[in-house]
Amino acid sequence: MTKERIQKFIREHCSADDYTFSISETDSHQTRFAQNAITQHIAGPQVRISLKVSFGTKSGNSMVNLANEESLLRLIQTAEENARLAPEDPEFVPSTGAAVLPKVDNSSESTNSLSPKQMVGIVQNCIDRAKTLGATVSGMCEKHHTHKFEFTKNGFVGEDAHSTFGHSMTLKRGEVETKVSYEAKDFASFDVAKEFDRLAAQAEVLSHMQSFEPQKIAVILRPNALEELMWFMIWMMNRRESDEGFTPFTGMLDKECFGKKFSLYSTLQHPDLIAPAFKASLPNKETTWVERGILKNMPADRYWAQKTACDAQNAYNIYIPGEGTSEAEMMKMVPRGLIINRFWYIRFVDMKAGELTGMTRDGVLYFENGEVKHAVNNLRFNEIPQDVTRRILALGKEALASPYAVVPTILVEDFNFVDKTSF
Amino acid sequence: MKYLDLAMNAAASLGAEYADIRIQRTTDQVILLRNLSLKSANTSVIDGYGIRVFKNGAWGFAHNNVYSEEAVLATVQKAFEIAELSATVNKDNKLRLAPERSYIASYKTPVQIDSFDIPLSQKVEMMMEVNRTMLAYEGIRQATFYLIQHKDEKLFASTLGTRLEITSQFIDPMITATAVADGDSQSRTFDEGGKAVGWEWIESLDLIQVAKQIAQEALIKVKADSLGAEQRRTLILDPNHLGLTMHESVGHPTELDRVLGWEADYAGISFATPEKLKNYRYGSEIVNFVGDNTLSEGLASLGFDDDGVPGQKWHIIKDGILNEYGSTRDTAMEIGLGYSRGCNRATYYFDQPINRIPNLYLLPGTKPLTPGELISDTEDGVYIQGRGSFSIDQHRVNFQFGGDFFWEIKNGKLHRPLKKILYKSCNPEFWNSCDAICDERFWRPFGVVNCGKGQPSQSARMTHGSAPARFRNIRVGGSQ
Repeated sequence: MTKERIQKFIREHCSADDYTFSISETDSHQTRFAQNAITQHIAGPQVRISLKVSFGTKSGNSMVNLANEESLLRLIQTAEENARLAPEDPEFVPSTGAAVLPKVDNSSESTNSLSPKQMVGIVQNCIDRAKTLGATVSGMCEKHHTHKFEFTKNGFVGEDAHSTFGHSMTLKRGEVETKVSYEAKDFASFDVAKEFDRLAAQAEVLSHMQSFEPQKIAVILRPNALEELMWFMIWMMNRRESDEGFTPFTGMLDKECFGKKFSLYSTLQHPDLIAPAFKASLPNKETTWVERGILKNMPADRYWAQKTACDAQNAYNIYIPGEGTSEAEMMKMVPRGLIINRFWYIRFVDMKAGELTGMTRDGVLYFENGEVKHAVNNLRFNEIPQDVTRRILALGKEALASPYAVVPTILVEDFNFVDKTSF
Repeated sequence: MKYLDLAMNAAASLGAEYADIRIQRTTDQVILLRNLSLKSANTSVIDGYGIRVFKNGAWGFAHNNVYSEEAVLATVQKAFEIAELSATVNKDNKLRLAPERSYIASYKTPVQIDSFDIPLSQKVEMMMEVNRTMLAYEGIRQATFYLIQHKDEKLFASTLGTRLEITSQFIDPMITATAVADGDSQSRTFDEGGKAVGWEWIESLDLIQVAKQIAQEALIKVKADSLGAEQRRTLILDPNHLGLTMHESVGHPTELDRVLGWEADYAGISFATPEKLKNYRYGSEIVNFVGDNTLSEGLASLGFDDDGVPGQKWHIIKDGILNEYGSTRDTAMEIGLGYSRGCNRATYYFDQPINRIPNLYLLPGTKPLTPGELISDTEDGVYIQGRGSFSIDQHRVNFQFGGDFFWEIKNGKLHRPLKKILYKSCNPEFWNSCDAICDERFWRPFGVVNCGKGQPSQSARMTHGSAPARFRNIRVGGSQ
């Protein structure tokens, strides 16, 4: 069914006082490889069709994955039945009305037209190169194209599409194990040879590992590592959770609770970032979350925004401006430290304190007197990310960490490592 | 269903060495009530079919949700083409499938009352009462009730001649009270994990009493002390805490695909490598772990896995020694096993099945021992209930766990409540430090319904279980 027919069908058959309808269609191709062989290879479309309806302040939801009349009728009937059986909702808000959406371009023809044969060719190339190094390579080559269409009874209509291409690989040679990943909306800028060179260089530098005890020490966090910490911090920045006393940001709006060198935005302007035009029937907009250490805004849903007279807004991507200090310069700014490629298995330890735990992964390098000396074992940290921003000594140039994050490498002092692994 | 034969005949005529089709309808009802506001009353139905083709040592998997002869044949063709494409890469490294016979069978989760037959209004009314009970306590700022009900209806056919009809379902209620006091906020959660049962389980629970207890404990917890600096201490772990610890430190390291490095790029690999089989001391002599996909009420008790292999029961750790892995038809052959343990499961129809943790549990102690006797036999330690923070490295060696409710033990008695407790340990230190396990009277299951793994990511479910157990000389302390 076309989107116009679906819209007409819902209008004609849904008897609720209010509704929000959305359909999301994703076409994917995923080639997974491990130990120099393809272990999984998946192709096919996925569809999600959701409807939220309300009678007065009673609401119900339903979801199906077939876009035909029979399925849509079942969708409407189930959502309406759920709403009729639901209690009055003291936090009910009606659906949004017509809105002007920002013009965004998140789709990529080079990604969409990538063929399965090309993707297998990329994988073959990586396996061949790994074999020449006497190594094994494991990873995933994938592409996705998603189209979303949403409308409400009160007049909101939104349409959006985005593409992503991803290629990640972990090389293992003896005890050395390291990973690089590339994820972007545009396949055209991907260079498999360059990515494998990066992987091989990373593996080479890790070949001499020495044991390292956990301690507080300066770290250079590369973009992938910083991005992972930032998403956890943003989850804690939820306006309602903070206002109700559950997070470290309670009562901190407009106060300096981050380091002065640290700013955080969501932006529609960066050409490499995916910026959806809307989320939850709200247009996305340029948003400053943190400006030079001051907490300026917090993500809030529509109910809480209405109750507390703030803007309803989403952290739809992350942009942290850098300053241009190189890694070589950073290594000279402190007597000794560690370079962290990425983190792994980050979890909340204490939501109110904002404390997280996690491990390093895929390569940790020890530097001293401005030079990399050797690799070290992986380490566990217990840290509070907003405190980490207060200990930033320098920022590099911002770089694409994922299609949803452009962040710099940062130098941080006294990063709190509390345990270590044997590898 | 006619599409089963159509797909399998088409795959065979194309030249597939093996193929299967899984037609799967997944129905979920998720209800979330927070502070008397119904945040979600969502019923979802995801329906479609996935077709796997094995050719020249490689898999191809294609999925679709359009039911027509033309669409099914096109999906078979796509899976076949992808398998052939994959085989060009695997020519020197071909996958093989462990032998398996054919089955014609059906399986249905035994339920007395199908939770989908209970009107939503009845469920929400009960949840509102639980919410009100918790909010009646001064200092409880947030009361949530999250109820998941899930049903999978599957038809499976393979070119081996297997024809299966499987209906499985589970329920998972989770109730949380969050207290705010003295500048802190702490939660306490009722969470036994999911169970493969019907609504009769919910009816058997006194949830109003549960609500009172967790509200009171949240208030105790928010005002409790922490423990200060980390020291080597004794831990007594409750089954609803130990479930997650065994999941991460025994379940995942003994998945054969991780052992083989098939998850190297994402979920990680395993320290428990094949040369350690039958000789590696994973735990003390009283530590016995069983994989059991026949467990009553077990979330992974599905009759058969998505390879068409029947549910089985076997020792993964026997008398403390690494005994065997959880395997699938394709992983088993990589270490020369002539059979699969039936651990291949997919989440939705559009997921290619992967090697999963079976129902996995710690056998109870063989000598009579009550939790009270265990505590009274402990001079100085910490007793942990419920799941909290958890993090483990990608080889499954080093880990740190929190919990949900903590008591300090002094001189054989529960001395004072604590909060913000963490313990750090590693394999094989942790399971070798286990010196006592309560007997079978105190064995309890703990279901995990959201085990994330794989690329693309899938969420699986399985049941763990244990009796309360004691661990000596573990690093335990307060968080920052």
